[in-house]
Amino acid sequence: MTKYILLILYSLFVLEGVVAQQDSVIVLQEVILSDSKLQQFSNGLSLTKLSDSIVRRNKGMLTDNLQFVSPIYFKQNGYGMVSSASFRGTSAQQTAVVWNGININSQLTGQTDFNSLMPQNLDGVTIRSGGGSTQYGTGAIGGSIHLNQNLIFDKLNENQLNLGYGSFNTSTLFFKSSIGSSDYSLNIGLGHFSSSNDYKYLGTERKNENGAFSNQNLDIAFGWRLNNANFIKLFHNTFIGDRDFSATLTAPSNDNYRDLNSRSLVEWAHVKTKTTQKVKVAYLTERYRYYQNKASSEFSFGKSKSTLINYDYLYRTNKWKLNGILEANTVRAEGSSIEKETRNRLATILLLSHSVLESFSYGIEIRKDWVNDYKSPLVFALNVMAAPVEDYAVNLNVSTNFRIPTFNDLYWKGAGASGNFELVPESSAQAGIDQSFSFSDLFNISLNGFYITTKDLIQWRPNESGNWTPINIQNVHQYGFEFNTRLYQNFQNSSWRWNNGYAFTKAIDNESDNQLLYVPLHKLTSNLSFKYFRFGTFIQGLYNGEVFTTTDNSQRLEGYLVLNIGVTYSLPKWNDIEIETELKLNNVVNENYQNVAFRPMPNRNIHLNLNFKF
Amino acid sequence: MNIKQLVSILAIGLVITSCENDDNTPVLPMGDYADGILVSNEGPFNNGTGTVSFISNDLETAEQAIYNQVNNEDLGNIVQSIGFTESNAYVVANNSNTITVVDRFTFEKIAVISTGLNNPRYFVSENGKGYVTNWGDTSDETDDFVAIIDLTDNTVESTISVDFGPEEIVNYADNIYVAHQGGFGQNNKVSVIDTNANEVSTTIVVGDVPAALQLDAANNLWVLSSGKPSFSGEETAGSLSRINTASNEVDVTIDFATTEHPNHLSYDGTSLYYSLNGDIYAIGTSATELPTDKIFEGIGTYAMTIHEGKFYATDAKDFASNGSLSVFDLNSKEELNTVAVGIIPGGIYFN
Repeated sequence: MTKYILLILYSLFVLEGVVAQQDSVIVLQEVILSDSKLQQFSNGLSLTKLSDSIVRRNKGMLTDNLQFVSPIYFKQNGYGMVSSASFRGTSAQQTAVVWNGININSQLTGQTDFNSLMPQNLDGVTIRSGGGSTQYGTGAIGGSIHLNQNLIFDKLNENQLNLGYGSFNTSTLFFKSSIGSSDYSLNIGLGHFSSSNDYKYLGTERKNENGAFSNQNLDIAFGWRLNNANFIKLFHNTFIGDRDFSATLTAPSNDNYRDLNSRSLVEWAHVKTKTTQKVKVAYLTERYRYYQNKASSEFSFGKSKSTLINYDYLYRTNKWKLNGILEANTVRAEGSSIEKETRNRLATILLLSHSVLESFSYGIEIRKDWVNDYKSPLVFALNVMAAPVEDYAVNLNVSTNFRIPTFNDLYWKGAGASGNFELVPESSAQAGIDQSFSFSDLFNISLNGFYITTKDLIQWRPNESGNWTPINIQNVHQYGFEFNTRLYQNFQNSSWRWNNGYAFTKAIDNESDNQLLYVPLHKLTSNLSFKYFRFGTFIQGLYNGEVFTTTDNSQRLEGYLVLNIGVTYSLPKWNDIEIETELKLNNVVNENYQNVAFRPMPNRNIHLNLNFKF
Repeated sequence: MNIKQLVSILAIGLVITSCENDDNTPVLPMGDYADGILVSNEGPFNNGTGTVSFISNDLETAEQAIYNQVNNEDLGNIVQSIGFTESNAYVVANNSNTITVVDRFTFEKIAVISTGLNNPRYFVSENGKGYVTNWGDTSDETDDFVAIIDLTDNTVESTISVDFGPEEIVNYADNIYVAHQGGFGQNNKVSVIDTNANEVSTTIVVGDVPAALQLDAANNLWVLSSGKPSFSGEETAGSLSRINTASNEVDVTIDFATTEHPNHLSYDGTSLYYSLNGDIYAIGTSATELPTDKIFEGIGTYAMTIHEGKFYATDAKDFASNGSLSVFDLNSKEELNTVAVGIIPGGIYFN
């Protein structure tokens, strides 16, 4: 291990003799991007960025954004309810969500509820396919979702207001204000999304009962340029959710769930020609209250507070980048069924990237965590990127990754269940190959293949006395491919674009050879849009293939096709205000579908949006 | 077990569930479930429906989801148990707060009782009425009750307020006996309801967490208590108590070791059978000490019972796939057959 590091250092300092000229692009990246590593150390992995216009087009939560444009399968307990992701056939706890470079998966459950994140005021959402535990820690097995806020040090005063109203008494409000100068940059975003959500259950006389929700969101990003070498950045997000939990086809509900999550991050960056040093301090809190009967004042709760200090040293030349990171983290959690517990973690990370040629680069990454309540594995990643000809690039990646036992897994006590101190992290190894071809500026395709093997999956099972407890019991493997095409064309007064994605995913339990629960073999997405002068129109399609709902594959949910269509019209500028109107019809063919069994999803519904830019 | 709570445990997000039954088991001629075994399957927790499986007496054929097959609708979420009268079966769906009344031999729907129940658990009939234990709101220990069902119009006609966590229920001589297992907590009582007055006449203190009741040939009521589990922070021993149904007092108590938490209680006419750590033991009704010899070792008993010289046990496997029913000859200990049933098979009954 030590030898390994020395070898890397040796090769870096001895072989690299030429002093590189300042790469202002990279310096700029350090300054503007909240997670510059995502760009700098992702060679060999496929990154898909959802532009902010795509992000804003969807007025719902992050689930709505991702399911129509990515290969990720989402399980929603009814629209707007708890939503968990399956990325490349992995579990909800094996998909990391990373906010401005920091893993924000719940300390209690290990997963992120994609219906408790509002991305509209962020500067894009990036999907990183493949393992990322070396950089992002626990849960980055299938892939990671990156939510970033960027800072632009430029004279700027821009405001956007978006108001929407539609079926089921659904109302949305998003407001974002960006102001800046050469020394300061400030973004403030407010979000509101609420709905009675009492949609009709197609094919029945019933409605979605007890499904109302109201979500509020605040985003802040602030940057201060002290001088050309020193920057202070501050990011904050607060999400407040208040949801009734929908009934199912077979059981009524009067549950209510309230959660409040906040994330704050302060960073000092010291940028020089060959080095960047960063010190980050982050404070994350999560808490929920679950009312089994919302008419009663009784509730169960859970909460956690996480403090993180991170020192990041980057040394770069024009061909080499060496990045060492030291991170200390302490998490305190408690709840109705968790006595106060503390977890301390120290992580060391070493990232190396070498551009041998403009068309050939590779990266080596290693990470080791020390944690007080379980043993964390040493993980590594090796990425290679080659572009042998101009219009073709191939990325290869091999990595080992992990997902740690959560506070619930370790410390739960009560109600017929108890945690297990003996748990070890789920550990995984994978390989991927990503290829992209550009046939012209207008048309490109990509084909990604992957293989993942994971052992010691944590599952809750009853023990001999009927007490539920988590154990490291399952071993699984996944393989498959993702095929994407992007086609666009601009003319003088018109433009059109057409993006398609297809994912084939085998997710197999090693013991039974059965497909894992809720992983469709096939998923297809298609987005076609057309613009003519002030008019625009678009159509979105999502096909999810059948999924199994029992581990013996004896029961299944049928596949479904959901189509959304919309028209937009941009009004002539008025008093310096740009106004765009959008009318959108969701589930236009009234498909009767469920993505979690016994929980029907919405029938056809309509939404009107007004977007003001001033 | 009621598992709604586990939903909040496992994140309010973990999805283990199921839907349309897609089994390819051979289908019997519809409508004749007169001679055979009924298994109630809780169904996947969180969401989904429970089912009832029918297995012929010769264990050669099994039919799944018979209520759905006959009536083309679902029974509801978490089918906890089935109670019977001479002609009808009363299928209790815990999380749906319903009892589906069917003809026990054709499984044709007669009625669905959907008002007046709150977390219903077990049904028994006595003196012309049905009696159903209800937890009420699981976070409220003061609203538990026994619902009285008018068996002519299948409605809840009144309720009797009882101590918290009423679970199994047994009828004898115009009385019904309710074991207060304690819901999500722990209780230690058996209450006696006089069905003439429809009120609690006596409350008997037994061991912690009374999990199962069994009447013997001498009309003594045996109570198997599991004891408080270790996670409760005050672990107590399991115990076996005998209630004299004439005096309604405990006259025999046999204790287990503190860390032993037995479960299930069956009776073959001479001995009582219980499970402990995956093994099955038998104890004579006049014994004063616990047995050390195992009758069966290491078999899954999500539910177990004895009927006409055979031992029946269900295996819930991983709780997210179809379970199985295994049948053993009680004399030879030989396994006669294992047949597939539905998800989380929690009750075994004989038609």
